[in-house]
Amino acid sequence: MATNVLVSAKDVTKTYQTAKIEVKALRGLTLDINETDFMAIVGPSGSGKTTFLNLVGALDTATDGSLTVLGRDISAMSKQKRADLRLHRLGFVFQAYNLVPVLTAQENVEFVLELQGVGDNRFNRAREVLDKLGLAEFANRRPNELSGGQQQRVAVARAVASNPKLVLADEPTANLDGENAEVLLHMMQDLNENRDITFVFSTHDSRVVAHARRVVTLVDGRIARDEMKGRTNPSPRES
Amino acid sequence: MMLSVSSKYAMRSLLRHGRRTILSVVGIGVGCGLCLFMIGFIRGERKMMLRAASESGAGHFRVVPANWNETRENDLRLIDWHQARKLVESMDEVEVVTPHARKEVLLGFGTRVAGVEMVGVDRNTEQAANRLVRSVVDGHYLDGEKGTTVIGRTIATRLRVEVDDELMVTAAGADGEMAGAMLRIVGIVETGSRDLDATICQVNLQDVERITHLPGAGDLTALVKNPKKLKLTVKSLSEKLGTDYSVVTWEQLMPELASGVKVDETWTRLTVSIIMIVVFLGIASAQLTAVLERRREFAVLSAVGMKGSRLVQIMVYEGLVLGLAGAAVGLAVGVPSTYWVATKGIDFTKMYGTEGMSISNILIDPVFLGDFGWWLVPLAFVLALTATILSSLYPAWYAAKTDPAAALRVEH
Repeated sequence: MATNVLVSAKDVTKTYQTAKIEVKALRGLTLDINETDFMAIVGPSGSGKTTFLNLVGALDTATDGSLTVLGRDISAMSKQKRADLRLHRLGFVFQAYNLVPVLTAQENVEFVLELQGVGDNRFNRAREVLDKLGLAEFANRRPNELSGGQQQRVAVARAVASNPKLVLADEPTANLDGENAEVLLHMMQDLNENRDITFVFSTHDSRVVAHARRVVTLVDGRIARDEMKGRTNPSPRES
Repeated sequence: MMLSVSSKYAMRSLLRHGRRTILSVVGIGVGCGLCLFMIGFIRGERKMMLRAASESGAGHFRVVPANWNETRENDLRLIDWHQARKLVESMDEVEVVTPHARKEVLLGFGTRVAGVEMVGVDRNTEQAANRLVRSVVDGHYLDGEKGTTVIGRTIATRLRVEVDDELMVTAAGADGEMAGAMLRIVGIVETGSRDLDATICQVNLQDVERITHLPGAGDLTALVKNPKKLKLTVKSLSEKLGTDYSVVTWEQLMPELASGVKVDETWTRLTVSIIMIVVFLGIASAQLTAVLERRREFAVLSAVGMKGSRLVQIMVYEGLVLGLAGAAVGLAVGVPSTYWVATKGIDFTKMYGTEGMSISNILIDPVFLGDFGWWLVPLAFVLALTATILSSLYPAWYAAKTDPAAALRVEH
């Protein structure tokens, strides 16, 4: 069965210009991310994992090359259009949870729906998402009243509340203990399998790698290895 | 109605840093209260000056011969002052109107003389329009008896005269010939200001006509019920009176006093502006600090799709809440102080002495009273909200241009 390509990166480079030096974070990266992928991007620090996620997440634009996300050329989109894409089609999970500290779990999820323009129904929709992810009992708690694992699960609820096609998670388990990491990964796996949400993680965590069906290894801004569980895809440079 | 999550976010962000928010609100409130006090004071001063000017004989406006304003010649007379007076009296806005005929004369008693502007008046309406002649301390005011006068205490002292003494009055008549008459003093006036008491010499209008051979009145002086509508009243009256008459306001009659009031107003506006700028910068600084502290939070919100315009909205909402609270504190500070200055006033006798203060032949009360009223409430909100909303704009703009990737990159 043919799979849809959600993200297509061709010869993508990203260069950061600091005061004195030029840092090449990505060097001609070519990669397709397919619908329903459950993919981990691994590699040492500075290998370009977060940069790649930022580009796919339309938070930043490539210096060179072409990047199409959900059929749209990111570099040709305005800031506003990219914000719209993020709001309606993408979800984000961050390493440090990054829930809004003054809002409850319910309100954090509602906030995204409000930004999407969901009216009076947003309360019920947010509660439904929390219910489905087993977080109903935390709905009225603020982040500082939740454990790290609970906060990250609420962050996932926030990310999927708007029914995105693709969720990008930057080191989602880095601050979690083994048990919480497992719970979170099972939750995301369940969303991937039952709601067809594509997940892409950047990670150093072997637990995440163990759950991933596809593992892409970056070294120095290039793909060193692209492995599907059961088989290894040739690296674009090797093909 | 369900409160939006954005509003809750803005409100709780303010509460998160309670001490900073309280300090900001107090800062806005004190600044706003100070401005209310100053504005109340200057409004009161303006009202007081206007009342002093108008009730010291100048009136709110005068009807004068068409060319009087250019020459300011006292010998000019109104063409038909009875008719003009009826017309002025028929206007609802006019409280009182009284005629005057003025003439520079020499008063003599024995070997002593004093030059003065003698004013012929209608004794029935003059005291209602002119408070300077309400305080007759010796004798009584004009009672219609021919050949009588009321003079100020300083003139009486200079000429060494008292009630029932007869003064020799000398003036140039209409034909240029010197004319003289005897005037019996029926009353002596003390205004509280020696300067003003040196200018008061009132007689019945008919006596001026008799001495100068100039018939009629030179002006009609009027007070209006609502000075705020003075310009409208003057415009309407000018149209009715036609081109033989001219209507001049107190500001035209006493430009030096009017400009003095304007200078005071300008200083007050300047002071209010400085206070508001200080408040403005204080709030902008606090708001900018709040933005910098929440840079990462804004980056995350931006990452999940919040647009810059929504961030601006949230920051302005926070400014709005600060402004409303600041206005309430401003009223709490400003209302009692403005009420105090409106009822007790600021007494300048210590600065200027107990001698009555006079400027441009008007008697000014040494206790300056401020203005107080419902106008304080909308003004407090306008001042506080303008300062806070405007000062939120730069931090809001700064927040809106947060680059989420850069802000989030700091973590890595």
